[in-house]
Amino acid sequence: MRDALRMALTLLIIGAICGGLLSVVNGITAPMIADRENQQFLQALEGFFPDVVKFEVQEINGEEFYSCYDAAGKFIGVVGKVKASGYGGEISYDLAVSDAGDIIGIRISSHGETPGIGDVITKPAFQDRVIGLNFADPISAGVDVDTVSGATVSSSGMINSIRRVMNVVGENFLGMEVEKAAIDLTKIADGTYTGTARGFKSDVTVEVVVSGGKITSLEIVSHDDTPGISDNAVKGMPQRIIDAQSLEVDVVSGASMTSQGIINAVFNALK
Amino acid sequence: MSTIAQEFSKGLLKENPTFRLLLGMCPTLAVSISAINGLGMGVSALFVLLCSNIVIAALRNLIPSKVRIPAYILIIATFVTIVDMVLNAFTPDLHKALGIFIPLIVVNCIILGRAEAFARKNNIVRSIIDALGMGIGFTLALTILGIIRELFGKGSIFGFGVMGTAFEPMGILATAPGAFITLGIMLGFVNFMFKRLRIE
Repeated sequence: MRDALRMALTLLIIGAICGGLLSVVNGITAPMIADRENQQFLQALEGFFPDVVKFEVQEINGEEFYSCYDAAGKFIGVVGKVKASGYGGEISYDLAVSDAGDIIGIRISSHGETPGIGDVITKPAFQDRVIGLNFADPISAGVDVDTVSGATVSSSGMINSIRRVMNVVGENFLGMEVEKAAIDLTKIADGTYTGTARGFKSDVTVEVVVSGGKITSLEIVSHDDTPGISDNAVKGMPQRIIDAQSLEVDVVSGASMTSQGIINAVFNALK
Repeated sequence: MSTIAQEFSKGLLKENPTFRLLLGMCPTLAVSISAINGLGMGVSALFVLLCSNIVIAALRNLIPSKVRIPAYILIIATFVTIVDMVLNAFTPDLHKALGIFIPLIVVNCIILGRAEAFARKNNIVRSIIDALGMGIGFTLALTILGIIRELFGKGSIFGFGVMGTAFEPMGILATAPGAFITLGIMLGFVNFMFKRLRIE
């Protein structure tokens, strides 16, 4: 008993001392690291928009967006400090979009992708595929923008995230309407519609029945996404969309790619 | 009891952790891609080894032997985290290049190995000498590997081009297989020299 107590106490004391020491060092280095990261970001921002003299920060869903203005006070574009999910966890990156909705540049600020494989996202080989795309362009991994073979998860994570960020930027800064919100069910004639869109790794086809300006039935006709993982989306999404009578519904967590595929397929069916 | 000089030199030659004991191979193979990476990794490990050897030797009579491994890991992890934060603050480029291999110093078998085999049985001064010998031996080995791989793989040393523009770099040496090839040749060379000079 006294032995056990002594062992526990020793570990406790060592742990406490180590923790204290770490918090001291962290207190010194953390501001320096944050400072440097901020400087790198500002440098990147000036690289994207050489004319920038002033910017405003706005937070949307926990991500920061910097609206940039030139010397004449004209809005020239926006840079988002945003996140994507890759193979090795979260990828933090900056996406610069011009006032016309063109992607001007990408800067990966931190990532945990495999060196030599997934880190292709930091290189022109990948970035050139998306730079220059416009808000109005379809940006969909594997369909409109090729993923990098061998680094599919890293590159499609980035592409999907860029589409999401473009929607946020378009809606909040460029005054563009994101199409999904624009479907007006009351204007759709009664009938049965089919549509297809990319899910996680296969095309998802849906059949939508519209009657009296309402979605009365929604069926997933075919898909080949991962069994067991996509099941919840296939089961849950139709009811969510029917309940909401809208495509502005939450995706099923754990199966977000399949869920988004179903939403997009319904959109394609009704547009 | 060996003399201080013997204690120091054993890490450099006879018991060189990389070339003789083959300890800590994972970071050795991964980061020896260039001379500066090898040097940076070696110095980081040297610092951690020195600090952990000092602390563990100082506490060797206080830590109950049944919980010594968790205690060592705590101490080592603390110093590794300090190195990680300091590198990130002062030398971000090196920190980026070494990446995951800095946190992995925690489980580097050289460091835990020296704590277990040496520091817990010896006084602080001898533990310092041991850490310096082993750490410098590790640093030297990594730097030599880095120099060879950078020289032939990229045509430069410590980032300075030395081979001229006519030199066609052997790209394979900068990749993972190149690490094994270079290490294998070095091990063969070192073994040959030891036999030749009858150091054993």
